[in-house]
Amino acid sequence: MTSQRLQHIALPLVGLGVFVAPAAFGGTGSVYSAAVLIAIFAVMAYGLDVIVSDLGEVSLAHTVFFAVGSYTTAWLSTKAGAGAWVTLGASIAVVLIFAAFIGLVTLRLREFVFSLVTYAVAVVAMSVASNWAFLGGSDGIRGIPMLDLSIAGLPLTARNDGELWPYAFALLAITIYVVDRFRHSRLGAAAIMTHLNPRLATMSGIDPARVRLQVFLVSAPISAAAGWLYAYQRAYVSADVLENYFLILMLTAVVLMGRRQLLGPLAATALVLMQEKFFSLGGYVDKIVLGSVLVLVLAFFPQGLMGLMRPLRRIAQRRAPSQTVITTVENPK
Amino acid sequence: MNLTQQLINGIVLGHAFALVAIGWTLLLGVARLVNFGHGQMYMLGAFVTWWAVVKAGVPYVLAVPIAMAIGALFGLVMQRVMLKATFEQNLVSIMIMTLGFGYVLHGGAALVFGSTGQILDTALSRNDITIGDLWFTWQDAAIVIAAIVVFVGLKWVLDGTRVGRLVRMVAEDPKLAMLAGVNVRRVYYGVFAFEGAAVAFAAGMVAPRTPILTSMGFEEVIMTFVVVVLGGIGSVTGSYVAGVALGLFTALFGALVSPAYTSAAAFLVLIAVLVLRPRGLSAGPAAGAH
Repeated sequence: MTSQRLQHIALPLVGLGVFVAPAAFGGTGSVYSAAVLIAIFAVMAYGLDVIVSDLGEVSLAHTVFFAVGSYTTAWLSTKAGAGAWVTLGASIAVVLIFAAFIGLVTLRLREFVFSLVTYAVAVVAMSVASNWAFLGGSDGIRGIPMLDLSIAGLPLTARNDGELWPYAFALLAITIYVVDRFRHSRLGAAAIMTHLNPRLATMSGIDPARVRLQVFLVSAPISAAAGWLYAYQRAYVSADVLENYFLILMLTAVVLMGRRQLLGPLAATALVLMQEKFFSLGGYVDKIVLGSVLVLVLAFFPQGLMGLMRPLRRIAQRRAPSQTVITTVENPK
Repeated sequence: MNLTQQLINGIVLGHAFALVAIGWTLLLGVARLVNFGHGQMYMLGAFVTWWAVVKAGVPYVLAVPIAMAIGALFGLVMQRVMLKATFEQNLVSIMIMTLGFGYVLHGGAALVFGSTGQILDTALSRNDITIGDLWFTWQDAAIVIAAIVVFVGLKWVLDGTRVGRLVRMVAEDPKLAMLAGVNVRRVYYGVFAFEGAAVAFAAGMVAPRTPILTSMGFEEVIMTFVVVVLGGIGSVTGSYVAGVALGLFTALFGALVSPAYTSAAAFLVLIAVLVLRPRGLSAGPAAGAH
């Protein structure tokens, strides 16, 4: 109980620290730009984290959910003059349709066949996005207006990354809260049980197929919301939101720190983006670095960097280690 | 549209798909391994061949073996890193690692070869064969012949030789094979080296048909998925038939509907098969392999 109470005090403090971090690091445009991108990409990764850590499957279609959010926002705000609340609602509505379709089609697929099909979805989505004139073809959609969330006379707008930061931070905080609630919910428990012991889950009256679909429907809007904010941040959207970069970034964010670490995807995204923004070795070398990190972590530290810390923490706490949940990425059988 | 011409295109394309997919067929069906970096390994094979021919002045017939050697080497490196996960049959982990390898290859190739498109011209691809109003290149004819030779050869090795028997034994039950004295580790290395060499060979043969870019490989990987799944995972003969069928479908779809959406159409075929015959996935000779 004490550790939980500690968490209740620690989390808001960590949150406050994260919120003032860009100002503490100089508060320049590039710092805020990096901070906003870290928040957006971390939110995108949380969508995948729910599938990988809790459901134990690797969806490679989450770039599509991210892109659905971006494209819906771009299309509605430029062609129909929709405001930011409308585009957020529409992004979530459209992505739910996508997720339901992909979820239903892949309902009975497992392991690599599931991943193979979701990867195919991503590749096909990229070829459709870059060819379909309706979505701007290879030019994409330009001229997305600034973020305007004003309600009832209360002005809430963001003209630059500095002003966008509070909104990106809020989206991140809401996402982390949702993921935390999900893990403590009946559905979250059912997902873990389906993942670790499908037979026991079935005997406990859980329908694995139904749980899978529901988790899919929880996770997709998270990545789509990230895409929604990304469209406003970049002011244009093109097929490159479906590039492998986002997929590799998401996967790295999920595995780098270790599975089921609430702040893991955020910390990992921050590390990767800080390297790219402030210690870049050129675009191609950055690719090699990111890809290598992903491979090496899985090959040599399958429990993530936090797994390295575990023995240290055990010594510090001088008590038996708590039971850790083994996920698919660590050991399938 | 000239239907006969499209059928010829389809047959060539189909053999190209089958040839590109052969490494995956063995990898997945026989050793139960996956490689999501397959498309990038295809890209690497194409660029090494291009580099050897254009930059180093090596004749084309020698350039392809050079690409195959580098492909095999890369396959060995991948397998070395993934060995632990391979023995645990941790496909999820292997899958993500191969995606990472593909990404590293993409960055590395762009660094070494530049990001501009190139044309890989060979003596075979410059010479056309014209029969009436039909035409294809000698390269196309070589692709068809090479695919048939490779498939017949692989089938013979798997079914008729000691090496093939060992590979099938490891696929059936790695632990039992180990107890029986089979060097399982060497089989896994061999299978991955074959995957690397086979996809590089396919790239050396097929890449002259299209401009090559370091960002390519996605189209190839989708077509490979479709061929392997349609062929019934693990079946060498099935992959060949599926490849040719997919080639004909793609050629006709490209000519009749839209060339831009051929991979999307192929994917819809894949989805249809998965939804209609989810059980069909486990068909094939290695059905019991876990």
